[in-house]
Formats: sequence, C-alpha cells, structure tokens
Amino acid sequence: MIQGIARFLTSNSLNNITSNTNSQVLMETTLKSIGRPGFILIDNDIENDTKKYAAAKEFLYQATCLLVYAALVVPVFKRGAFKLAKKVFADSGIPNFQSLKQYNHYLKLCDSSLNNRQRTLEKEIKGVYKTDSKGNKVKKLVKDEYDEIALNELNKENPDKFTDLKGAIEFGNIVGSVFGLAILAPQVSHVFIHPALKFLGLEDKKPKTKNNDTKLDKTV
Amino acid sequence: MKTAIIDKFKKISHNLGINNKPTYVVMAIAAVKGICRPTFTMMDKKEEPKTKKYTAIREGLTELIAIPVYWGLGEASAKIANKVLPEELKKQGAKNCMFLGVCVAALLVIPGLCSAAIKPIMDKFYNNEKGTLAKHLDIKSDAPEIPVKNIYESMPVVNRPSLHTFSNASQYGMKVGGV
Repeated sequence: MIQGIARFLTSNSLNNITSNTNSQVLMETTLKSIGRPGFILIDNDIENDTKKYAAAKEFLYQATCLLVYAALVVPVFKRGAFKLAKKVFADSGIPNFQSLKQYNHYLKLCDSSLNNRQRTLEKEIKGVYKTDSKGNKVKKLVKDEYDEIALNELNKENPDKFTDLKGAIEFGNIVGSVFGLAILAPQVSHVFIHPALKFLGLEDKKPKTKNNDTKLDKTV
Repeated sequence: MKTAIIDKFKKISHNLGINNKPTYVVMAIAAVKGICRPTFTMMDKKEEPKTKKYTAIREGLTELIAIPVYWGLGEASAKIANKVLPEELKKQGAKNCMFLGVCVAALLVIPGLCSAAIKPIMDKFYNNEKGTLAKHLDIKSDAPEIPVKNIYESMPVVNRPSLHTFSNASQYGMKVGGV
C-alpha cells in the first residue's frame, strides 16, 4: 500500500505534469471549476435560487478561463517564448530545434532509457517522403529532423535536457497564464457569462439586492 | 539596458528550468487576480456602487486567502514527502507532493475557507456600516414621555360571530330532515 503510494508520488507521468506549467494550470482551473461551485451548492445558508445562480456563474467563469487559456497561452505565449529563447540562447550550444513540438518530443525521448530511445529513433517515421541515394522514395524518420548536437545528446546515457530553453518556455507560460487568467478572462467572461446565464434560464432568477436606501429608517 | 533585460531573462529561465515549483504559477495568478478582478469590478459602470464595492471586496478577499494557502499547503506537502520518502526518491516525490498539495488547496481548502471565512468578514463590514448610520440618527429627545394607557385591556371580552361559524338557522330543537 505504502509502496504503491510512493510509486505513484514518484512516477514519471506525475512528474511530467508537475514540471509543466501548462498542465499545472489546466489541472488547477479544472479543480476550481468543480470545487468552487460545489461549495456554493452545499452551503445551507443561501437560498436555492441564489445558490444555483452563483454556482452556475462561478462554473462558467472557470470554463471561460480554461477556454481563454487553451486559446491564448499555448499558441501565443509558449511559442513566442520558444522563439525568443532560441534567439537569446543561440550561442549556448542549444540544438536547432525547428519547433516547440520537436523540443517536447526530444524531452520525451530524454525520459526514456537509452535502448528504448534508440529503438524509437530508428523506427519512428514522419509522414513525409524523401528520396534516398538510389532514387527511391522512402518515408522520412523523425530522427532525420534532429541536428547533430541533438542526436549526439540522444546517444548518451543521460542526455542534456537544455533546461535554460525549458525554463524560458515555462517563463512564457507563466506570463501567459497570468495575463490570460487574471486580465483577459474576467473581461471575456463579462461579455460571455450573462447571455449564457440567460440561455440557461438563471439570469431572471437573479436575487435582487435589498435596497436599504429606499427604506425609511424609523429607529431614531 | 537591453543586455540587463536579457541577462535577467536568462537568469529567470535558468532557475525555472532547474526548479519550476508548482506554487509559482498559481501564486502569481492569484496575486494578479487579487489586484485586477476587484479593479475591473469597480470600473463597471452598469452596477450599483454598493454592489460593486461588495463584489470587489469579496473577490479581493478570495485571492488574499488563496495566496498563503497555496504556498503553505504546497510547502507543507513537500516537507512531509521529504520526511516520509526514501533518499533517492525525495527530489522527485517532494515536487509531485507539492503539486498534489496545490490541487487539494484549489479543490477543497480554498473554496471551503472562503465559504467559512468570507461571509462573517463581509457581515462585519456591512454591519459596521449600518452601525455608524444608526449612530448618526441616534438623537436623544428632550420632550417628556407621555404614558399611553392600553384601553383595550379594560374592555369586556365579547364573543363576536364569525363568518365561518355564523348560521341563520336555530341551533336547538327538532328540525325537518335532521339537519
């Protein structure tokens, strides 16, 4: 039992999630979208209609956050940070990775054992054809896209993961997450939530706040 | 200037590449949210000022609670992992436990704490406001109090007929049909 927990806590798949800001934020936002509406719904001090309204609003807000995050952070900030890092760390002996996807693939290979890695490199094919020395058309291997430096590293027992490049991508991810979730999502949700609540039939049930100002205060 | 920014970027990238704690991003998001969400709410021209103020304080308080909880629970989970796990698994296990701590904070602890703590705090804010209002209106009158006598107490009790029980028919004697 304890061994099982220890194995789960130190597993590579959990480690991959933990070391990636993208999956951290996605996981956290998903949990928030369950936890916050859930706690509103189990609160006994609030009226039923108010509970439903508040829980739906909170859920829609977190859902908007997820959408904004998926639409903005990966395509804009992560790729932007990767391009910027390639320029900044050009003289640091970092391989010429053609895209963020290729770097992620490289990191995945680094996590596997040397034997598995080499087998994967020999087998994994890309859906593009190339002509060999005899003039035959053969499918291009994923390996063919890596440059010399990367291939040399992949043939080592403990390849360099180029943590500076990884850190730069994570930095872009954090900046994008903050901008997307704290600045952009509230604006987008403001436009999106009220029509959605009306569509769900919850907007009319919005509890009217007591207007204390209009009441005459008779206690003198 | 440009070189200084590049050096800073390199330093941050290097540190994040070596150790990207799961608490960094959630705390950064909570901190900026704690400033921006209430600001946006206060800038909304459609809402009433009182509602805006209430919502803004509530949003600010939520994030104010979230920051220390993320940090505390994350660090505590990592420390527990460091004590429990064997030496060779400590580094990886501590980071993973920190992430699980952050997840528990997001799913249970923060919403629970907000539900429990925010309402009393908000009630205190608004009750105080009412209290100050009452103080302004609390004027002592110098006019003598006139005793008011309850004249209804001395009146005899009369059994008045009710519409539900009133009947025109006589309530005694033999009736045709036994009604």
